[in-house]
Amino acid sequence: MMATEHIDSRLLEELTEQSQDLNSDALRITRGALIDFGQAAEPVGRRWWQRGGALAGVAGMAALLGGSRAFAASASASADDIMALQTAASIENLAISVYQTAATLPFIKDGNKTVAAFIAKTTTQHQAHAQAFNSAATQAGGQAQNSPDPKYKAVVDQALPTIKTPADVVKLAITLEDVAAQTYTKNVSQVSNADLRKLFASVAPVEAQHRATLLAVQALLAGNAADLITIPVDPAKLPAAAGSVGFPDAFYKTDMASPISEGAVK
Amino acid sequence: MSTDDWDMQISETQLARLTRDMDEAHQETLPAMRASALDLAEEIRARRTDEPRDAGRRRFLLGAGGAAVALTLAACSSSSKSTSGSSPSAGGSPASAGASGQYTGDLKVVALATALENQAVGAYQAALQAAQAGKLGTVPPAVANFVTTAMAQHADHAKAWNAVLTGAGKPAITDVPLSNQADTTAALGKAASVGDVAKLALQLEDQAAQTYLFAAYNVTSPAGIATAATIAPVEAMHAAILNYVLGQYPVPDDFLPVDKAASPTLLTV
Repeated sequence: MMATEHIDSRLLEELTEQSQDLNSDALRITRGALIDFGQAAEPVGRRWWQRGGALAGVAGMAALLGGSRAFAASASASADDIMALQTAASIENLAISVYQTAATLPFIKDGNKTVAAFIAKTTTQHQAHAQAFNSAATQAGGQAQNSPDPKYKAVVDQALPTIKTPADVVKLAITLEDVAAQTYTKNVSQVSNADLRKLFASVAPVEAQHRATLLAVQALLAGNAADLITIPVDPAKLPAAAGSVGFPDAFYKTDMASPISEGAVK
Repeated sequence: MSTDDWDMQISETQLARLTRDMDEAHQETLPAMRASALDLAEEIRARRTDEPRDAGRRRFLLGAGGAAVALTLAACSSSSKSTSGSSPSAGGSPASAGASGQYTGDLKVVALATALENQAVGAYQAALQAAQAGKLGTVPPAVANFVTTAMAQHADHAKAWNAVLTGAGKPAITDVPLSNQADTTAALGKAASVGDVAKLALQLEDQAAQTYLFAAYNVTSPAGIATAATIAPVEAMHAAILNYVLGQYPVPDDFLPVDKAASPTLLTV
């Protein structure tokens, strides 16, 4: 049973606004940096820290989102790259679908406000990722992938009828976030150019952060402490496990990474 | 809700199980990580065909991996004592690597990564010491657990990076040869609350995660790319929990930025 509302909604809105402002800033900086991004197709040199300062502030995929010209200049993407991008988009599509479905469930919609807000924000972040992956795929000459990952769609289809509580939603979301993070972490080593490495390497940590947050939420739900799922939270009230359950591995695993062909457009 | 009420809401058994599961998962990742680090060392060595191979040292590093946390913590502690007492070395003076500019190319990035990991270990170690001395007020159990677990993971990261350095015939870095270390040490010294420490820790975690992101698309070694890619998400997860503890949204960016990434020019070796 979800606890009574303890969230400071006004603060949460402010935090969300601040987050959006930061993203807007990143995009603005990116567009400015793209003026100097003509060398994007150049081989990556060893003395990367000596590059122009503007590029140092560019988020990985934001560069691709904001600069078709820049990406086109370095669009040496292979067929495997395009498949990896399409599979990534398919994973994002599935995550979006699951979060959007979850948001309509009564125990989410009318439950813990922080969980609902997290689901809403996470949905928009996955939408940004899907757009980024599809943008890169099409700019590399491939098709956009607008369907969900078939392997995990089957998992979701099987799980959805059994979902009865917020903990069930969280468990399913953790699986999807982990698959996404593992896949993109592995993709960093599989794609053929630095732009795509930047893209995958800038998204994987965000999915990992989703998972970290969900693992903490899961621990609090398991401890009948849903009332502690608030922002801000009183750290003194958190169980010890909440401090570490969110990051179980010293190195992010990739053994569950999806193969690049899994969600590719057929 | 009072603290006593809270104590009734999660069992010791459950806490123990969660901690055990986490530790088991953590240990499972280490063999693959060591293999990746050795691949990187092998790549770097292959580029330098004029240097003799040192298989004996590599085998030693493989065997020593199981004691990574203890050894690295001991190394950091020992190094700190040799430079500036029990806290991380102020001023970033090199204790283990003497010659200037001896890390070049990808190895400079590896050296930076090692130094950043040592910096994080030292910062968390100093925080624990400050807490034990009562300088931070009451430390919540969750925060204490965060610090000890994150510190151990950073020690594992440092161990992996040092394996690359020594595998390539370079000295291990067991202290913090960074020009920003004095500021970090000073900030730690001024910390008077758990919140102060958490804010500083968040800066270090953001810096580390973003440095690895930048490295992932700028280094040339495939194993180096893979290593950076597997560590960046973990540092980002640390940051997410710190944000939550600090009352901030745990996933602030749609895409991880690099504006806080450390520059190798910070290195003093």
